[in-house]
Amino acid sequence: MAEPKLRVLMVSDFFFPNFGGVENHIYYLSQCLLKLGHKVVVMTHAYGNRTGVRYMTGGLKVYYVPWRPFAMQNTFPTVYGTLPIVRTILIRERITVVHGHQAFSTLCHEALMHARTMGYRVVFTDHSLYGFADVGSIHMNKVLQFSLADIDQAICVSHTSKENTVLRSGLPPAKVFMIPNAVDTAMFRPADVRPSADVVITIVVISRLVYRKGADLLVEVIPEVCRLYPNVRFVVGGDGPKHVRLEEMREKHSLQDRVEMLGAVPHSRVRSVLVTGHIFLNSSLTEAFCIAILEAASCGLLTVSTRVGGVPEVLPDDMVVLAEPDPDDMVRAIEKAISILPSINPEEMHNRMKKLYSWQDVAKRTEIVYDRALKCSNRNLLERLSRFLSCGAWAGKVFCMVMIIDYLLWRLLQLLQPDDDIEEAPDINFLH
Amino acid sequence: MDKNLPGDSTPPRPKWRKVAYGGMQIGYDDNYTDETFLEEMVMNANVVRRDLLKAMKDSVSISQYLSIVALVVLVWFHTLESSLDEHSLLLLDLSLLALGFLVLLLTEEKMLSFTLLCRYLVNITFFTTGLYILAPVYQTLTRSISSDSIWAVTVCLLLLHLFLHDYSGSTIRAPGALLKSPSLTSCISVNASIVASVFVASRLPSRGHVFAVMLFSLQVFLFAPLVAYCIKKFSVGLHLGFSFALMGLTMYSVYVLHRLFFVLFLVLVVVVNVVCPYWLIRMQEYKFEINGPWDEAKLCFDITD
Repeated sequence: MAEPKLRVLMVSDFFFPNFGGVENHIYYLSQCLLKLGHKVVVMTHAYGNRTGVRYMTGGLKVYYVPWRPFAMQNTFPTVYGTLPIVRTILIRERITVVHGHQAFSTLCHEALMHARTMGYRVVFTDHSLYGFADVGSIHMNKVLQFSLADIDQAICVSHTSKENTVLRSGLPPAKVFMIPNAVDTAMFRPADVRPSADVVITIVVISRLVYRKGADLLVEVIPEVCRLYPNVRFVVGGDGPKHVRLEEMREKHSLQDRVEMLGAVPHSRVRSVLVTGHIFLNSSLTEAFCIAILEAASCGLLTVSTRVGGVPEVLPDDMVVLAEPDPDDMVRAIEKAISILPSINPEEMHNRMKKLYSWQDVAKRTEIVYDRALKCSNRNLLERLSRFLSCGAWAGKVFCMVMIIDYLLWRLLQLLQPDDDIEEAPDINFLH
Repeated sequence: MDKNLPGDSTPPRPKWRKVAYGGMQIGYDDNYTDETFLEEMVMNANVVRRDLLKAMKDSVSISQYLSIVALVVLVWFHTLESSLDEHSLLLLDLSLLALGFLVLLLTEEKMLSFTLLCRYLVNITFFTTGLYILAPVYQTLTRSISSDSIWAVTVCLLLLHLFLHDYSGSTIRAPGALLKSPSLTSCISVNASIVASVFVASRLPSRGHVFAVMLFSLQVFLFAPLVAYCIKKFSVGLHLGFSFALMGLTMYSVYVLHRLFFVLFLVLVVVVNVVCPYWLIRMQEYKFEINGPWDEAKLCFDITD
């Protein structure tokens, strides 16, 4: 049996059975890397009673380490608590590259730190945007600076996200790669028979109904569009704290028969909701990439979106209508979308999306980043400490202390349980 | 760039675009950084430049209130030392009440109606009567507690009061003024000052003293900020003059009492009025704000309706 080219460990707090952009990204990237002949292992925290080792499609091995999430699906930050299990997994699976995902995953930050201490090559993918003004952001940015101070290569999902990450972490821009998300075009294909847009035009919204996703904009935009176009109806999928506001809007303007509220839509049903519509409306206030737009475009829907974060980079100009995040401009954008709707051919759009985005392409580009990471020279502890020291007057010293203690703990673990005592897992290739 | 010159062997590569679709751009690596990188970053867009004189002028409100509190403490001290008897205290109460009322009347834009005046008088009567009836209770309230504990707690409460006080406005609103509910901290501040007054009053020898001191403290702590606020709103010059007169009076009284306290108070006033504003202005140059396309969009309408 052929030896795998690379052995990659993906680390993040966010993985299946949870659903979202990061979870999707890790899953599809891992699948494609497996097909390219690499070995991929995923490490995440326990979900409910799902702990221990599981295998997913294509022999993707997942370690659900027995740490409970404490807030927003994050494990409690213990700094050193995960060192033993990370070390065991790294040695057991003979890992060569550690790839962490998402800036607010504590498990990811801890694993990256331990991996660096043990001399592994690390790559980090940032999936989100952060401001610089509030206390939460300042704290997160400092943590990110610590995690990325000694990283080999970093990946961002859009050019805007790259600018943001470079500013937040102080990494040289040449070390940060832009590799976008992609969409499973085989799963998101247009309906065989597209509902006619002559009688009723359906506008679909699928997002969590929270402030950041612009649910308040929807409350302003939907009645106005309904007033202007008697033949438009809305389908709103998703749940969240702003659900009540939308319901109120619906009652206030007597739009019960024209605005359908579906509640939470599981990811497996997203396609069946999308194909009932003609226009997809995204009202996010901040977005690093926005996979929802890709899914809609892949189903042949024309997209109307707010011009925020990385959204303008996602689709060619003729596939999306962008608007400033204020109700009047969004209504204008929807008007424009309705006027160009007859020229949209869903099948053609789907075929274009197949060329524009594919996970295989993402995996190949990620492979290049791994190769670059492997070519980086490995420095000893003292050289690395100087990098942490330059992170700030106080923070630099604290970071150094954290790293030194981590190094000592690692040495202690090596004494207690030598590397040779850890059994190596056999490589099983499921693809043949 | 000379890449488009004739005779160049390499074909001109297409212009790099800031897009995420279409796979890796031909001729450019994924870590390619264009000249447009960080072009949309805006620095210090919303920074307000402050000037020293204005900061110093604004800080006068703080030292004015510090003087008021110091004067109250002086009155407490003299009453406890029995150098102020209850008759002169009551006279002081009455004159302060009349003066404060006069200031409110003069700075008010619209004339007071007769009914409103009657309501004021009824309120004041109720207030003083209630206080007079409760005076014996206050007098014996903390008899079982040692004086040292009372002083310690009083000092702490006064510090808390000063720390949380709303220096820019007034917790108590003039009747008919626009009702904006006061913040939690300023309410805590007012309550701390009232508790401190009760504690001090409970150490006094007679019922009359307790009544006079309580009335005095409540008048000052509750209504002095309102009066000062009205003066400031009426005229800034008058506000500055009033503040400096108060500060002068306080300094003189403290000087008579004790040299050390005088020096401490002087240092405090200088720090508040000169050092802190200067420091604030100096720190402005370290202000570093970054904005860009990654910021969360702000909604241009009110979402609470």
